[in-house]
Amino acid sequence: MDWTALTLSLKLAVVTLVILLPLGLVLGRWLAYTRFGGKAWIEALVVLPLVLPPTVLGYYLLVSLGANSPVGQWARQWLGLELTFNFTGLLIASLVFNVPFMVQPVQRAFEAIPRNLAEAAAVSGLSGAQTFQRVELPLIWPGVLSAMVLTFVHTLGEFGVVLMVGGSIPGETRTIAIAIYDQVQGFNLAAANHMSLVLLALSLVAVAFSFVASARLGRRA
Amino acid sequence: MTTPPVAVNELVVHVEQTLPMPLSARFRCAPGQMLALVGPSGAGKTSMLRIMAGLMRPGAGRVQVGEQLWCDTAQGVFVPPQKRHVGLVFQNYALMPHLNALDNVALALLHLPPGQRRARARHWLDHVHLSTDQQARRPAQLSGGQQQRVAVARALAREPALLLLDEPFSAVDQMSRHSLYALLAELRRGLNIPIVLVTHDLNEARLLCDQLVVMDAGQVLQQGEPASIHRAPRNARVADLVGIQNRFHGIWLGPADAPGWGLLRWTDDRNTDGSGTVLRVPDKGRLDPGQAVSWVIHGEGIHLLATPAQQADDFCASVAELRHLGEITLATLVLQLAPGATLQLTLSGPQRASLALGQRACVRLDMALVHVMPVRQLQ
Repeated sequence: MDWTALTLSLKLAVVTLVILLPLGLVLGRWLAYTRFGGKAWIEALVVLPLVLPPTVLGYYLLVSLGANSPVGQWARQWLGLELTFNFTGLLIASLVFNVPFMVQPVQRAFEAIPRNLAEAAAVSGLSGAQTFQRVELPLIWPGVLSAMVLTFVHTLGEFGVVLMVGGSIPGETRTIAIAIYDQVQGFNLAAANHMSLVLLALSLVAVAFSFVASARLGRRA
Repeated sequence: MTTPPVAVNELVVHVEQTLPMPLSARFRCAPGQMLALVGPSGAGKTSMLRIMAGLMRPGAGRVQVGEQLWCDTAQGVFVPPQKRHVGLVFQNYALMPHLNALDNVALALLHLPPGQRRARARHWLDHVHLSTDQQARRPAQLSGGQQQRVAVARALAREPALLLLDEPFSAVDQMSRHSLYALLAELRRGLNIPIVLVTHDLNEARLLCDQLVVMDAGQVLQQGEPASIHRAPRNARVADLVGIQNRFHGIWLGPADAPGWGLLRWTDDRNTDGSGTVLRVPDKGRLDPGQAVSWVIHGEGIHLLATPAQQADDFCASVAELRHLGEITLATLVLQLAPGATLQLTLSGPQRASLALGQRACVRLDMALVHVMPVRQLQ
């Protein structure tokens, strides 16, 4: 059992969640509430990582973040950061491929709120922030929860993009999914089996938890 | 143009806009009075309500309650809904589904310290007669009538200077409807503020309100007391909108022998039959001879006669339809003298037994209650 890989995967999933959650709330709310020309293109862009082959997404990330790319050069010069084959690169890739998993459920949840509730809140004296906190957030909470679980589980399981952008550097970019692949390549099926079971159990528990929680919220509402 | 000064707590509204939809309305409502905006859907009633609540900015206009100026496009004043102290009861109530009745009302009381909000919310829910048990339920577990009471309590919790009700009767059953009438009557006595309601149900507006504002396609067609609008609709469209049944066609012939009276030839709906009966009716001097007109007669002006026709204002008819509904009977009479004209009568008491289908009947029309109006008013 490669505990370092598991820890790295969990760390990547948590950091991704922490960064992506506020972004997802802002973007999802904006997409749910505003109409503008070209909105369909933005929505398509949000969903794109879901339908692209991981190798394609990984390739473009590698090309655009690599040491010779403008972004890579800028990051090295001004931030002193390398953006590929390390945890930072992995994190950027993880943020990108999780956008649809975070934004879509949040957007749907905002869209499901009846329009006149915000008006009722305004007439009742609630400011925009108060309406968000006391009306919108409680109502979108099941959607947010499912977005968080999907993002978390998906980060644990993502393989192709991670391999393209991060390679397999122990403690730096070798996530559990890649560790499993390495073990299978080395004919160490017992270790692969072990780690696969852990990943399977973790994912199952997370998804089941989100269903149970949503059902409970649904009963309360 | 001078406008009368705004009285204490009086609502004054004046809106003129062409986009996004045309609206042209000007009305006032005194505190303690109930005003109904009536008209078909799409008439702009709800838009007027939203403008008063501050949920919509008018292209040009002014909304004022007493000394509080809420909106004046000329001065660039626009007070957001949060600061207006307006109570708005939404058509489908717009209660927060995740909060129970008590917390729904408490949500409108965030200006109070947290410890006092629920006690105050309970006060308002008691006020609209919602039991303690019902106060602890979420909207989904309450009936339509109960949800409406919560919505009213939430509106009152703002201690509003103006109460607005959007189609308050559309989604509640008959029983809740009657208890809602009682509640509104009670509120009106207790609150000394203007109350404006939007409805397409004219009977309800007439029953409850002191003033009607009849709207169609964004325009105010007529406003006034319900009885006066009913007795004297300004034009045929108003008569249509307020659901006057006994509406007939005719051609205005000009003044009669005495001042204040004119002559009207009763024709069919295409104004082609010139041989119709000539009636002597009240004249306000606004009509040109030869002009096609519509005319109505108030229900109080139609009398069923026990004896055959004797006077000029008596008409013979045959009973074409009888519908017995509870304590009343709706009768349709086909008049013999007037071409194509049918007369709708509501009968109650012993009169109900006096008619049978196909039977001949005679009616006397009280010409003093006839109101003549132009077919179409140009705007």
